[in-house]
Amino acid sequence: MAKRNRRVGYGLPVVLAIAVHVVALLLTMLRLPDSEPTPSSSSVVQATLVSDVTATDQAQYAQEARARAAQRQAEEAAQQAAEQQAQEAARQAAEQQAQEQAQQQAAQRQAAAEQAQAESARRQQAAEQAAAERAEAEEQQKAAEAARQAEREKQQAEAEAEKQRQVEQAKKQAEAEAEKKRQAEEAKKQAEAEAEKKRQAEEAKKKAAAEAEKKRQAEEAKKKAAAEAEKKRQAEEAKKKAAAEAAAKEAAAKALSDSIANEKERIANAQQSDQASNSFINLVKRAVEDRWHLPANVDNGLVAQVRVRLGPSGELLAASITRSSGNPSFDRSATQAVEAAAPFRELQQLDAGLQRRFRDFNLKFTPGDIQ
Amino acid sequence: MNDSMSIPHLIMNASLVVQLVMLLLLAASVASWVVIFQRSFALSRARKAQKAFDERFWSGVDLNELYRDVPDNYEAQGSEHVFRAGFREFNRLMPKTRSSEAVLDGVQRSQRVALSREEDSLNDKLTLLATVASASPYIGLFGTVWGIMGSFQSLSMAQQATLSTVAPWIAEALVATAMGLFAAIPAVIFYNRLSSIASRLLGEYEDFAEEFHSILHRNLQGRGGNPAA
Repeated sequence: MAKRNRRVGYGLPVVLAIAVHVVALLLTMLRLPDSEPTPSSSSVVQATLVSDVTATDQAQYAQEARARAAQRQAEEAAQQAAEQQAQEAARQAAEQQAQEQAQQQAAQRQAAAEQAQAESARRQQAAEQAAAERAEAEEQQKAAEAARQAEREKQQAEAEAEKQRQVEQAKKQAEAEAEKKRQAEEAKKQAEAEAEKKRQAEEAKKKAAAEAEKKRQAEEAKKKAAAEAEKKRQAEEAKKKAAAEAAAKEAAAKALSDSIANEKERIANAQQSDQASNSFINLVKRAVEDRWHLPANVDNGLVAQVRVRLGPSGELLAASITRSSGNPSFDRSATQAVEAAAPFRELQQLDAGLQRRFRDFNLKFTPGDIQ
Repeated sequence: MNDSMSIPHLIMNASLVVQLVMLLLLAASVASWVVIFQRSFALSRARKAQKAFDERFWSGVDLNELYRDVPDNYEAQGSEHVFRAGFREFNRLMPKTRSSEAVLDGVQRSQRVALSREEDSLNDKLTLLATVASASPYIGLFGTVWGIMGSFQSLSMAQQATLSTVAPWIAEALVATAMGLFAAIPAVIFYNRLSSIASRLLGEYEDFAEEFHSILHRNLQGRGGNPAA
């Protein structure tokens, strides 16, 4: 034993043994801070309530409604535009018609003036022999002026001028005939009588012609007045239409803003009710969580969705899987948890509207970290 | 929390008995490791020496030369020790008796003594390893039980018994068991390994003793026949 000790000393083994222990102690001290921060969450299970109509859904609805309203407005606008176009076209057509009428009338007037001119020229030529040339020339000028005036101005003035002219012409004719009469008186009394008869007849004829002319002019005036009235009427109609369109637009805009306001109100109401119903959600969640017995060997990534339908007093009508996790035992545990947690009597304490909302909701089951 | 649950902190906060137990276990662990290293070196040296002596013995060298060709204060070990003990006894008995049986008996006896000493030195301190391996878990368990007893005694005075009030005590107590296992596990493993090496070496020594005995017997038969003839 003594020789053994001399051969293999204890110095090195002691050093090595102490080194081993120091290393082991260092390892435990170094490893602990690393292993300590492993998460140790106390939450066993997490059940998430997913109601069918959430505030975000409502916002979506509102957006949809707004979009719909906008569409409606656009359609209305298109309609209005089409109507406006049609009206404008109609108005334009009417204006064109009126213009055409006016042109026609003017042409008629011109024609009448020309006729009158021609007549007056003829009469002038006929009266040349009997009447003074200067007077006739003046008359012609006057007639031409009157005709020009008539062209430019309204028919009535023209008609007056023409009447005057006609009267003058008639007077001149009468004078000329009186001269002829006097000549005829000198020739034959019979012829004179006949001439007188003829003259009278002619005069009557002329008078009739003049009357006819007057009538025609009056008719034209009437027509013009009618055309003007028509124009006025059309203008009024256009005004009316424009007013109606404006009113329709205003009404549409008002309706849109009303609908948007309604949507906003609905969203606000939904948010309020959400807040108010949070307590109920939490109660249901806690009750279901408490009674949820998670089966063994379940992945943490599983998610099952259970649709829960409640009766008016909170009793469970049905609990069915709407989205399976793929693990039948997990799904069964979720529905069993809901069945065990029912009835939810707290439903009766909610408002009527909220009650209706929570009669049918979805519960999402996700296993948390189970330590 | 993190700091208060670290192992040095737990050891410092433990009760006195548990601390003593831990100290004892630490000492046992250190001692077992010292033995492990010391025995490992010694046994590896013994195997090397055994191998070298085997080569020399079977190289056909004369036994007298082999016996004499050694420094004075040389402490032989293993097979060489057995050989030297037997050959010294043989040389001493040869001039004194003519009976070959008596010579062989004396040689065998001296070889048996040498083998016994070799065995003793091979298994030296391995018992310490065995003791640490078997006893330290119990010592650690004792510390744990004592610590938990203390924790429950102090818990009875607390108003509320939550997990957070019990946990530090139990963790503290369990450190003792952990230390006991920490000492015991290497001791068990190395005890098995070292004792198997030692028994194999001892078997080789015994084989050599038998072979050496048969060589001496053969020589005595040859020489004993001459006087008889």
